[in-house]
Amino acid sequence: MLATPMHLAHHVLALPIQSANCLTAIGRQVSRLAFLLLSTLVLASVIGCGATPPAYFRHNMVESTKQRLNSDQERQVATVLLAMFGTPDHPVALAETGLDESKLHLAAGPVRSDIVGRKNGLYREHCAHCHGITGDGLGPTAAFLNPYPRDYRPGVFKFKSTERADKPTQADLVRILHNGIAGTSMPSFALLSETKIEALAEYVKYLTIRGETELALIRAFFELDDDAKGTLPETREFLVEETLAPIAAKWQAAPAAAIPVPPIPTNIDLVASIAKGRELFYGDKANCVKCHGVTGLGDGQANDYDDWNKVIVEADKEIRSGTEQASQASTAGMSPEQLADHRLQLVWLEKFHQVLDGDALTPRTIPPRNLRQGIYRGGRRPLDLYYRIYAGINGAPMPAAKGTVPPEDIWHIVNYVRSLPYEFDGLLGADRPMVAPDRF
Amino acid sequence: MQTSSKNKFADGLSGAVFGFCVWPAATVAMVAPLVAGGCAPQRVATPRADTEAAEKIRANLLIGTSASGSTPEAAASTGTGWGTLKGRFLFAGVPGAARALAVDKDTEVCSKGGMKLVDRSLIVDPVTKGIANVVVFARKASRVKNASPSTTPVVFDQKQCEFLTPVLAARVGQPIDVHNSDPIGHNTNIAGSSFNQLVPSGQGTVYKPESETGMPTAVTCNIHPWMKAYAVFRKDGYVAVSGADGTFTLADLPAGEIIELQVWHERSNGPNGALGLEQPDLKWTPKGRFQIQLQPDEVKDIGTLDVPASVIGT
Repeated sequence: MLATPMHLAHHVLALPIQSANCLTAIGRQVSRLAFLLLSTLVLASVIGCGATPPAYFRHNMVESTKQRLNSDQERQVATVLLAMFGTPDHPVALAETGLDESKLHLAAGPVRSDIVGRKNGLYREHCAHCHGITGDGLGPTAAFLNPYPRDYRPGVFKFKSTERADKPTQADLVRILHNGIAGTSMPSFALLSETKIEALAEYVKYLTIRGETELALIRAFFELDDDAKGTLPETREFLVEETLAPIAAKWQAAPAAAIPVPPIPTNIDLVASIAKGRELFYGDKANCVKCHGVTGLGDGQANDYDDWNKVIVEADKEIRSGTEQASQASTAGMSPEQLADHRLQLVWLEKFHQVLDGDALTPRTIPPRNLRQGIYRGGRRPLDLYYRIYAGINGAPMPAAKGTVPPEDIWHIVNYVRSLPYEFDGLLGADRPMVAPDRF
Repeated sequence: MQTSSKNKFADGLSGAVFGFCVWPAATVAMVAPLVAGGCAPQRVATPRADTEAAEKIRANLLIGTSASGSTPEAAASTGTGWGTLKGRFLFAGVPGAARALAVDKDTEVCSKGGMKLVDRSLIVDPVTKGIANVVVFARKASRVKNASPSTTPVVFDQKQCEFLTPVLAARVGQPIDVHNSDPIGHNTNIAGSSFNQLVPSGQGTVYKPESETGMPTAVTCNIHPWMKAYAVFRKDGYVAVSGADGTFTLADLPAGEIIELQVWHERSNGPNGALGLEQPDLKWTPKGRFQIQLQPDEVKDIGTLDVPASVIGT
């Protein structure tokens, strides 16, 4: 899928080693490494396989490599995150996050029962196999699911009652946990008690705020002044006030960002409303037809990616372009500095390639929803459809109709969309397949 | 200290290195692939935190003091008056032929009369060699001449399935008239912002950016995925986009202080699109930054900046 690593390896290995001294030094390094590896192996065989190492959060390697962090900088991010958020077994939350630590403790850690038989470690029991310990959507089952499990770290959620760019409310997260997401692998957790669901929703917020902070820290390296020696300040001012607080504030502002919903117009007959909705659906103003297709089967514009996959697609492009350029560059006329830069570039390309292979899933395009199946991922209440059309879907190509389509017209579209699974009007007879066969 | 003790260890070992290390090395070489190979895709090593350092940072965060007492670096306001910065970007190389875009929808509008849309990521004037759409913005400035953003909307139009402004520069809070001059509907999606809205044919909608973008962010139409532009929003409005002849002008910059400028180009292969040039006189950095200091009413022309083909990606 990606640029050829062999090619790069060839470039790196073909670099001349300039002195014999250097060779001896490398030899020494190798022997020491071998010694260390051997002792580790011996140690491992003595201890045996029984002890499970404690769970740890994984670093956002894709963004970190894209931003060309060196290993010291990666380590600094990991260290700062440990200070701010603790570990998967012992999460901590600074007061500024607004998170409830007691709820986090119920959800975090290995699956276990406490002294009165209450089950803890809910996240690892119910969520981690898909969403991953880190909430990066890279759990062991992730690659086998379609759509892929959500990666919380960018802080983007699709199905909510708030404006497009705003965070979901606690109630939105709880609703998803309760109902699951129809048409995906996300099941309903309605059998869990309210306390447990609340704890899980809190833990999802915790992982998200942690992931957003991590992204902000990784990106902050680029914003550093050149004289900052590539180290982030570890002050409260930078870490909490500048980095964490704006992220947490968005979460705390979610309840105030609710989408205003006027009542369904009652002065119009449902059949007439559906007819109006149909007109809007195919019309130029709402333009639903462009993506959802003339058939409503979701077979219109279909070669776009959602924001999560787009990151990987873009990274892949960057690697391809970089590799092509590096392979065309002639090293003959390079000054020593240029040659050093060229080598660094090759090493970086190789690393980025490995990171995409190991720490990202193969990108998939996002098909517009097939509206004739009657399966609505964000919920099937008319209100849920209103939210989706009004604000669009954050992270997905679906744009907002807000501002362009007046609220009562949005309600007509909702009515038409809800009628679509039952619409048989000759053009789309009952004999017509309900799915676009070439894509599903 | 640490390195010297490491060396001692290595020296002490070196006498015995050969005999001692060959067989374990061989064993490891044989075992390692078995251990590392596995069946799952290889996840790369993740950095481990320094627990001790983390405890110290945490203690500091909980106390709520910023021990180092670092104050936010507001650029020192050391002058009065305003100056202007000018410059010009020229392409030192031969640009390849522009790639045709795959237009597979609404062809009656988007490919009207056999028109072909081409990739505009690198536009070089064939005569002057000027590079268009290079973005230059001030990283921070202590003073701003116009206290509030202009209320005149910047027009951001789309016609024949192309954004007419390849790089949109605006000040935070300044209204942007997102318009659609096509007979078909579009949507305009500004990455990383709250804006992804339908823009019906012949209509417009006004968007006021709420925050800075940092480096320019992508603007797309999801209905016609080949449509691409960039947007950059700055609080102080000190941002310029080079014209067809490669020239840019940043007017009304605060004089008397050192201003650091950031330079970006869509195709630059520097980090986040930063355009790194070899300009030792301007102390140009690999992060695409340089510094200047202006006198009141000075019009400083930094002259011609050659952009070698090697810093422009394929």
